Amino acid sequence: MYKDKIVLITGSSRGVGYNISNYFLKNNSIVIGLSRGSSMIDNANYHHFSIDLSKPDEIINVFIKITKQFKKIDIVINNAAVLTSQYSMIMPVKNAIDIVNVDLLAVFLVSREAAKLMRKNNYGRIINIGSMAASIESVGDSLYAACKAGVNTLANVMAKEYALYNITCNTLAITAIETDMLNQHSPEAKIKIKKLINDLPIPRMAVYEDVFNVIDFFASDRSSYITAQIIYLGGIN
Amino acid sequence: MKKEKILEIVISVVKSLVETLPENQKFEVDQNTILFGKGSNIDSLSLVSIIVDLETTFSVDYDFDISLTDDRAMLREKSPFESILVMVEYIFELVNEK
Repeated sequence: MYKDKIVLITGSSRGVGYNISNYFLKNNSIVIGLSRGSSMIDNANYHHFSIDLSKPDEIINVFIKITKQFKKIDIVINNAAVLTSQYSMIMPVKNAIDIVNVDLLAVFLVSREAAKLMRKNNYGRIINIGSMAASIESVGDSLYAACKAGVNTLANVMAKEYALYNITCNTLAITAIETDMLNQHSPEAKIKIKKLINDLPIPRMAVYEDVFNVIDFFASDRSSYITAQIIYLGGIN
Repeated sequence: MKKEKILEIVISVVKSLVETLPENQKFEVDQNTILFGKGSNIDSLSLVSIIVDLETTFSVDYDFDISLTDDRAMLREKSPFESILVMVEYIFELVNEK
């Protein structure tokens, strides 16, 4: 399904992005990974660019390199995100800025720079990894949830702007999934997440197969008429 | 970069755009072609394509990072999009500042 497709994935060095990268590699794609650190992925079809996605200039510059080296991008997975779960009144400003820059502004910049390339081939699939936070609006997630809601809206507007070029923009809003980010939470936060999971219509954590299933749907060549859609896992809406 | 080279790039980008238009919307391209406003044959989406192609070409092929839609461009008394020739003058100004 993905043979020779060029797939750009942000936040590819760990968690969801790492697993999505390996999934595309297993399916014979060429994967361009963007993340702050180095990558442990050892595959000839994997090309890593170490950048700080909270810095707009770094995103613009890496796309100049990508344009020169690869000439095209078929699929973008906007996965990278940072999360500080904290009451808004005591959220450090630096963390707040990082959340906005990585979780919203970087999604905007990566999508538009990729769209400039996709436009040339009259083909593209932009898939954002959203979150149940946008719908559940939990205490402590004010900015994270707002950015994820912003990503939903961003994709819907871009879907209209890019439809002419056969570029679709969709969002997969995931529930909690086993990742480093999840494991970093405090014991109290873990209890809160457990309660959230138990309150879902389908009361379990997401597994990677759930994620790959929706990505396959959005990324499929057959999905050219599917755009500006948000799919929540686990029964959330 | 010389003005002649910039003119060649701008005309080539606009010609590439014209090639993608339906037969009945195609038009001749020269240095006097109007890009925006009264007398222009280019719709707003096509103009966006031209701007993106110009910014990308100058950045990727010539290492000149230029923005054709920032405040400086928008606040000019004479819009850089008035015609190809005016656009060339504006880009010439930008690349020679670098």
